[in-house]
Amino acid sequence: MPDRAISYEELTPGYKFPPTTYELSDSFVSKYLKAVDSEGDGFVPPLAITACTIAATTKSIPLPPDTIAIHASQELEFFKMVPIGATIECYIGVLQKITRGKMSMLILELEVFDKGKEKVQSGRATIALPT
Amino acid sequence: MLTEIQEGKAFDSVVKHITQEKINLYAEASGDFNPIHIDESFAAKTPLGGTIAHGMLSLAYVSEMMTSAFGRNWLSEGKLRAKFKEPAHPGDTLTINGKIDCIEQEDDVSYANCSFECRNQKGEMIVTGETIVKFSSDKK
Repeated sequence: MPDRAISYEELTPGYKFPPTTYELSDSFVSKYLKAVDSEGDGFVPPLAITACTIAATTKSIPLPPDTIAIHASQELEFFKMVPIGATIECYIGVLQKITRGKMSMLILELEVFDKGKEKVQSGRATIALPT
Repeated sequence: MLTEIQEGKAFDSVVKHITQEKINLYAEASGDFNPIHIDESFAAKTPLGGTIAHGMLSLAYVSEMMTSAFGRNWLSEGKLRAKFKEPAHPGDTLTINGKIDCIEQEDDVSYANCSFECRNQKGEMIVTGETIVKFSSDKK
């Protein structure tokens, strides 16, 4: 769930957001495939899993007023395929926070596990916050 | 799927047209309702001048190209590094191209190091990056 209690100033390297859980249901996968204009193959597309993680991330970041969050870069590594209907748990932490003039950058570390605690994917996302 | 994995091999291009409807569908599917993607009056007042597609939507097209080329090898053990250079707007047509730059061998496993780019109809770079896909050497 989004952690609204923390302020943007308090987001410092090492901070861990509360984990979020998603059920990758058939209806979720169908919606995702329709949105990306693609066909399925019986498994959850890995980028659909990342989409959940990124959405959880952007919801979790307590943005300063009048700020927009722009996804600047993404690194990903896939470890296993996930069947439709599986439940995943996403962990997001702050790796770096950089402020240069009117631009702030958050580098976040993402890790996704399945119900058996096996790693599904990991990555890093850079979110730019022009203020 | 590629029948032969060799250096310089280009993947089949993926071409997608971005619409606000697709962006809204993506927001609904992913749960990412950032107003810069879906609220046209909000987005018009920002320096971006209007709504933009989620970066992960463009990246999904890259993954589609990689899946067509490598199938499950990509889905289960792929690696990706991407930079979002410019936003994609509704009305844009994105073309995603990629190729195998080099193949590295480590013991009995080979790694295809690939590059990709996603450009809009004006030729502007939207996303660029690299991928790595592990595969068994007998496919080479």
